[in-house]
Amino acid sequence: MTASVHLEGINHWFGSFQALNNISLEIKAGEYVTLLGPSGCGKTTLLSVLGGFIQPTNGQVRIGNNDMTFVPPSQRPTTTMFQDYALFPHMNLRDNVSFGLRMAGMGKAERHKKADEKLDLVGLVADGSKRPHELSGGQRQRVALARALAVKPDVLLLDEPLGALDLKLRRAMQDELKVIQRQVGTTFVHVTHDQEEAMAIADRIIVMNSGQIEDAGPPSQVYNQPATLFTADFMGEMNHIPAQIKKGKASTNLGTFPAQDMPDGAATLCIRPETIHADGRGLSLGTAQVKNVTFFGAHIRVILASNEKPDVTLLAHLPPGDMPKEGSKIPLSVDANALRFYPECC
Amino acid sequence: MRTYLPWIYLALAFGFIYLPVCVLVLFSFQDGGLPVPPFDGPSLKWYREVLSDRDVTDALIHSLFVAVGSSAVAVILGFLAAYGLARHTLPGSAFIRLLLVAPLTVSYLIVGLGLLIVLSRAGFGLSLGTAGIGHVVINLPLAFAIIYASMGAQHENAERAARDLGASEMRVVVLVTAPMLAPAIAAAFFLSVTLSWDEFIIAFLLTRFDITLPVEIWSMLRSGLSPRLNAIGSVVFLISVAAVLILEFTTLRRRRS
Repeated sequence: MTASVHLEGINHWFGSFQALNNISLEIKAGEYVTLLGPSGCGKTTLLSVLGGFIQPTNGQVRIGNNDMTFVPPSQRPTTTMFQDYALFPHMNLRDNVSFGLRMAGMGKAERHKKADEKLDLVGLVADGSKRPHELSGGQRQRVALARALAVKPDVLLLDEPLGALDLKLRRAMQDELKVIQRQVGTTFVHVTHDQEEAMAIADRIIVMNSGQIEDAGPPSQVYNQPATLFTADFMGEMNHIPAQIKKGKASTNLGTFPAQDMPDGAATLCIRPETIHADGRGLSLGTAQVKNVTFFGAHIRVILASNEKPDVTLLAHLPPGDMPKEGSKIPLSVDANALRFYPECC
Repeated sequence: MRTYLPWIYLALAFGFIYLPVCVLVLFSFQDGGLPVPPFDGPSLKWYREVLSDRDVTDALIHSLFVAVGSSAVAVILGFLAAYGLARHTLPGSAFIRLLLVAPLTVSYLIVGLGLLIVLSRAGFGLSLGTAGIGHVVINLPLAFAIIYASMGAQHENAERAARDLGASEMRVVVLVTAPMLAPAIAAAFFLSVTLSWDEFIIAFLLTRFDITLPVEIWSMLRSGLSPRLNAIGSVVFLISVAAVLILEFTTLRRRRS
């Protein structure tokens, strides 16, 4: 069971605070979408609008081809997996998972059979007669997933589902969620503030900030070609270099770089630290003095000060191997296609 | 010396609390005609006499009936009030809460007199039912306060989840809210039972032909002290203790584990 979701011109105010600002979004049937943003950006409010717990001040919510804007949660083809799992403490796992089927009027034997299938899907079929308090956090999370999927929703809404788990378990559950989503084919909308989680799991990331959509696209696009300066900063570490653009050329403290199709005026040049190299590939950034070196396993994080302009500091992720010495001078260069310019606005 | 002092204090404190009850129970086994020393016995003859007295056994059954019935009503009303106030934003909800709890501060005598005036003006005859109404009035605030205090946000999320899975409001309350609050509901119920069970003033004012046990005891007291009263008192005490023990073993213990 799966369906597409269409949001059109959603606005929502809490009193005088505008939580959602003209949100329009299309989600394809069977897509795994994450809503990503800092706390207070409106992502959970948007999820509540999808689930029917909040009616938007204006705008339209369609699921499949049906207008759902004013339909209560119990009659929507959506189910929500709550952040604290919200399992029923007085029921065993089988009764928890089969609760939705019971509400739909299914007989006991049949719904217990279906519940066992769903518990099997999340690897807990042997624990069907346990109570939620006997489980670990990760297991409760699986039960909540099984309970939400048991009613065969068209759209599953996940509200920071992995927030309460430790890092290792979180990475394992990310993979599992994705596998299960592929298996059942349901549209998943997953809210998180962790950009690594979003990139690991999503077909498409919707980046939100102060009630608006900043960027939307597959993880690689949102990371490598962020649409806005906010997205660029939110998705990972970023070097900012002030630039002046004139006739397709950007002049900066580190030299002049090509800036095709950019309007003249002040702009910010953004460079991801892993696109900076010490082996001469790409465009030269001049030489720089190593200020600080930190070993991170997969890469070395180096803070450098430009030789020509000592007040310009750069952050680079260099391949592990020979660690540059602090105080030494190394030549720097950058991948030609890794330069991103954002016009200075307002 | 210093190590003995706390123990002496403890013995005195408990003696102060329990000595009257112990004396009452002891002299219920008196063989003679007066519940005063010297103690001769033990004998069960007063229990035999009391339990074969129709007036006493009827009063005992009436009391149980009023206690269980009025407590059930008080708990249901208290639960509904708590659910409404905890889950919905109402205009003036603080004031409504105050009005619900306020009867706790009114003396039983005033509650009983007020009901007596209203009921007789309205043309209701006095009966066990009217005594039950009085007990609902005094137990409802308590039931409300206990249940309201235990309604937390974690329960609210489970209710949202149940609604999301297709449960109607009625089924949310019956299948999710009430079972999750079972310990608080049971505590409120048993506390109401024990309070109603030995309540005298309201029962005295609001009953006429069928009376409850405390009223029966009072009318027996007028003919002077007798080990019969000790025997009845012991039975009353035993039943109160039983209610408290049931509460302790069924709900409070389970909650802690």
